[in-house]
Amino acid sequence: MSNVIQYIIDGIALGAVYALAAVGIALIFGVLRLVNFAYGELITIAAYVLAVTSNWWLPLSLLAAVASSVALAVLTDRVAFKRLREAPPATTLVATFALSFALEAVWRLVFGVNGRSADVLGALNTTAISGAIDVRWVTIVEVVVGAALLSAIAIFLRRSTIGLQMRAAASDIRTARTLGVRADRVILSAFVLSGVLAAVVAMLLTAGSPLVTPTLGLEVTTFALVGVVVGGMDNLVTATLGGFVVGFVNAVLGDALGADLRVFLSSFTYLAVILVLLLRPGGLFASRRATGAERV
Amino acid sequence: MSEVATAVGLAVEGLEVAYGPVTVVRDLTLNVEPGEVVALVGANGAGKTTTLSAIMGLVPAKAGAIRLGDRSIAGFRPERVARAGIALVPEGRHLFPAMTVEENLKLGTIGRRSDDGLAEDRAWVEELFPAVRDFSGRRAGDLSGGQQQQVAIARALLARPDVLLLDEPSLGLAPKTVESVFEALTEIRRRGVTVLLVEQRAQLAIGFCDRTYVMAAGELRLTLTPKDAGDSARIVAAYFGS
Amino acid sequence: MSRARTAAIQLLGPIALIVIVGLLGSASSGAHQIDFVNALVQTTIVIGMYIFIGNSGVISFGHISFVAIGAFVAGVLTIPSVVKPTLLPALFPLLANHSVSPFASLLIAAGAGALFALVIGAPLMRLGGLAAGIGTLAVLEITHNLLRYWEKIGPGARTLSLVPTTTTMRVATIGAVVSAVVAYGYQRTRAGRLLRATREDPAAAAGAGVRIHGQRLGAFVLSGAVAGLAGGLLVHALGSITTEQVYLDLTFVTLAMLVVGGMNSLWGAVVGALLISFLDTYLGYAENGLDLGLFRVNLPDGLSTVILGAIMLAILVLRPSGLTGGREFRIPGLRRRATPAQPDAEEEDGGAAPAAETSA
Ligand SMILES: Nc1ncnc2c1ncn2[C@@H]1O[C@H](COP(=O)(O)OP(=O)(O)OP(=O)(O)O)[C@@H](O)[C@H]1O
Ligand SMILES: [Mg+2]
Repeated sequence: MSNVIQYIIDGIALGAVYALAAVGIALIFGVLRLVNFAYGELITIAAYVLAVTSNWWLPLSLLAAVASSVALAVLTDRVAFKRLREAPPATTLVATFALSFALEAVWRLVFGVNGRSADVLGALNTTAISGAIDVRWVTIVEVVVGAALLSAIAIFLRRSTIGLQMRAAASDIRTARTLGVRADRVILSAFVLSGVLAAVVAMLLTAGSPLVTPTLGLEVTTFALVGVVVGGMDNLVTATLGGFVVGFVNAVLGDALGADLRVFLSSFTYLAVILVLLLRPGGLFASRRATGAERV
Repeated sequence: MSEVATAVGLAVEGLEVAYGPVTVVRDLTLNVEPGEVVALVGANGAGKTTTLSAIMGLVPAKAGAIRLGDRSIAGFRPERVARAGIALVPEGRHLFPAMTVEENLKLGTIGRRSDDGLAEDRAWVEELFPAVRDFSGRRAGDLSGGQQQQVAIARALLARPDVLLLDEPSLGLAPKTVESVFEALTEIRRRGVTVLLVEQRAQLAIGFCDRTYVMAAGELRLTLTPKDAGDSARIVAAYFGS
Repeated sequence: MSRARTAAIQLLGPIALIVIVGLLGSASSGAHQIDFVNALVQTTIVIGMYIFIGNSGVISFGHISFVAIGAFVAGVLTIPSVVKPTLLPALFPLLANHSVSPFASLLIAAGAGALFALVIGAPLMRLGGLAAGIGTLAVLEITHNLLRYWEKIGPGARTLSLVPTTTTMRVATIGAVVSAVVAYGYQRTRAGRLLRATREDPAAAAGAGVRIHGQRLGAFVLSGAVAGLAGGLLVHALGSITTEQVYLDLTFVTLAMLVVGGMNSLWGAVVGALLISFLDTYLGYAENGLDLGLFRVNLPDGLSTVILGAIMLAILVLRPSGLTGGREFRIPGLRRRATPAQPDAEEEDGGAAPAAETSA
C-alpha cells in the first residue's frame, strides 16, 4: 500500500512538471500551429542562468532566469519563426530543430560540455517526510507550484481579455483577426507566457537535480511534446493532461519496474504512446468531435 | 436607443485579386453610399467571398483602391480593418465552437473603437436576436445553424461597425429563419449601418436592397434596383442558368 | 521533349552528382576519403527517408531506427566469429553462430529494415500528421532503448567494433546510386504517383479511391529497405558503431538535409544531403585550422555547429521549400524552350494533379 502511495506521489510530481512544459508547447502550437522543438532551449537557458547566478540573492536569481527564457522566446520568434509563418509545416519543424541544434552548440561553447551546478533551490532537495513513504520538499513544491501555475493560467485564459483573445486565436486565428484581435500581440503573449513556464520548469528540475547539461531542456521537451500529442494538441486542457499523464506514467513505471527492467523504461513508455495514438489518434482526452489526426 | 452618428460609406475601385496565378476578381468597382444596403449576387465561384475577404484584408489585393468613408484601407491587416470600422459575418459563420455564446460576443467587442454605449448595443442585439440572450452560457458549437447565424451577426454588430459585410447569412436556413434575418437587416439599416450583403437568393436581395450588383467570373455584370425586381428576376435567373 | 527524356535527365542529375562526389573522393588524399564515404552514406540515408517522407508528405522520425537495425545486423553478422564470444557474450545463438560476407550482410540489412518497417508501419501508417510524427519518434526511442540495453541482440551500451571496413568509395557510390535509382523508379510507378496525389490532397485522393494506408505502407517498407542498406553501409564504413550514433542527432541532421534540399524531390534529397554533410565536415575542420590558400580559418571549438545550425536556419527562412524548391533536376533553359506554353505541373513538385495521374 505505501508503495502505491509513493508511486502516485512521485507520479504526480513529475506529471506536474511535464504538464507545465506541455502548456508552454501547446500555447505556441495553438496560436501559431508551430511545433517548437526549440522550446527545450528556453528551459536550458533558464537553468544555466540559475547556475551562473546561484550566489545571487534568490529572488533576483529566479527573476534573471525568467527574464532570460522570455527574452530568448521572443528573440527566436523575431529572428526565425516570424519569417516562417507561411512556410510548409515540415520546414518550420526542421527550422525549430536547426535552432535547437545551434543553441545547444552555443550552450556547449559558453558553458562547457561537463555541465554546471544550479544549486539555487538545493535546499528543497531534502527530506520532508520519511518513513513508510519518502517525500522530499521538492516533490511537494513541484505539486504545489504545478497546480498553482496551471490554475493561474486557466484563470488567465478564461477571465482576462488577452487570454480570451489567445483562445480565440488558437481556435481560428483568421476569424479572430477579423474581430480586431491583434495577431502580433497574441503571438507575443504566447511566447512570453511559454518563456515564463520554461523558467519555472527549469527551477523545478534544478531543484530536484542541480546538474545543468546542454541537453537538459531537449529531454523534457521531447516527453512533453509526446504528451501534448498523446493528450490532444488542439486544446490546451487536453494537451496539458497529456503532458501530465506522460510524466505520471514515466515516474510510476520508473518506481514500479524491477531493477532489471528499469533500463527499458522508455520502451514501455513509448509503447504505451504508440498504443494510445493507434486507439485514439485525435488524442487521449479529445472529445469525439475533434479528429485532429491529419495535421502537419 | 442611442442615435447613430453620421453613416459612413464603402467604395471599392478597380479591385483585382488572385490566388497564386489565378485571377478570380478583376477590375471590380462598387460603391455603397452611407447607410445603404447593397447586395452582391452571383453564381458559385463568381468571386463574392473573395471580394469581401479582400475588403477585410484577409487576402491581398493585387490592385485597386478600397475606401471606408474618405479613408483608404487597402493593404490594412484584418485586425486594422476591423478596428477601422468594418465587421464581417463570414460564410459559414465561424463562431468559436468550443467557447460559450457569451465569450463569442465578448470577442465581438474587441474591435470597438470605444466602450461607450456597449450596454445599449448589447440590449439592442438581444432584442434583435433573442437566441443571444437565451443561450448565452451554451457552447456556440452546440447551437442550431439558425441560432449560430444570429450569434454571428450579433457578434459583428457588437463591434459597432460603420460597415457590415454579410456573406450569405441565409445559407442553409429555413424560410422562417431567413425572414427573421432580413427583419434584423431592416433594423440594422434603420440604425444607419452601411451593409454590403452577399446573397444567393437574388429575388430576395433585389427586392430588399437599395442596389444589387450581379457578379460573374470575377467581374461586375449588372446593377439592379428594386424597380427591376419583377423583371430582373428573369434576367438574373438567366444569369444563373436556372 | 518526350517524357522519357525528361525522366532520364531528372534521374541523371542526382546520379551524376553522386558519381562526381565519388570520383572526387577517390582522387582526394587518404585522410579525407572517409569524409566522402560518409557524405555518400548519409546521402543514401536521406534518399531512404525521401522515398517515404517526400512522396507521402508525412514526417517520420523513425527512419534512423531502420538505419540502426541495418547497422547492427550487418555489424553483428560480419565481425569475426572467433571474437564474438568475448565481444558479445550474451548474444542469441542464431546471431552468435552465424557469420556472413559483408556483401550478404548489406542485403540482410536491407531486408531487416524492410521487415521492421512493415511490422511497425502496418499499424502506424494509419496515422497522419503529427500523430504519425510522434508515433515514429516512439519507434526510434524504443529501438534505441532496446539496442542499448538488450545484450542478446547486440553489444548494448558498448561499442560494436572490429566490423570489416568494406564500404570503400566505390561501394558507397554504388550504394547511393542504387538508392537513387530505386527512389526515382518508385516515384515514376503508378504506386508512387498515387502516393504523391495523397500528399497534395488526401481527401480528394481518398475520394478518388486511393487506398492511402496501403500506398503509404508500400513506400514506408521500400524506404525502410534503403535505410537498412544505408545502415549496413555505415557500419562497414566506420568499422565500429554505438547506439548513440544512430539516434536523435542523426535523425535531426538527416531530416534537416532532406528539408533544406527540398523534400519533394530526389534532387533535393541528394543536394541537401551532400551540401550539409560537406558543410558539417569542413566547418569541423575549420575548428582545427583550415587552410583556404589565401588565408587560414581557425574557429573556436564548438562554433562550427552553431554556424551549421544558423546556415540551415537561414536557408529555410530564405527558401522555405528548400534549395531546389522541391523540383527535380533539369538542365537550365532546356525545358522552357522546348515547351514554352505548358506550365510543367509535373516538374513543379514532381507530382501532377491526382486526376491526371490516375488516368495516365
Ligand atoms: N483560398 C483559395 N485558394 C485558391 N482559390 C480560391 C480560394 N478561395 C476561392 N478560390 C477560388 O476563387 C474563385 C472565387 O471564389 P469565391 O469563394 O470568392 O466565390 P463565391 O462567389 O463566394 O462562391 P460561392 O457562392 O460558392 O460562395 C473560385 O473559383 C474559387 O475556386
Ligand atoms: Mg462565397
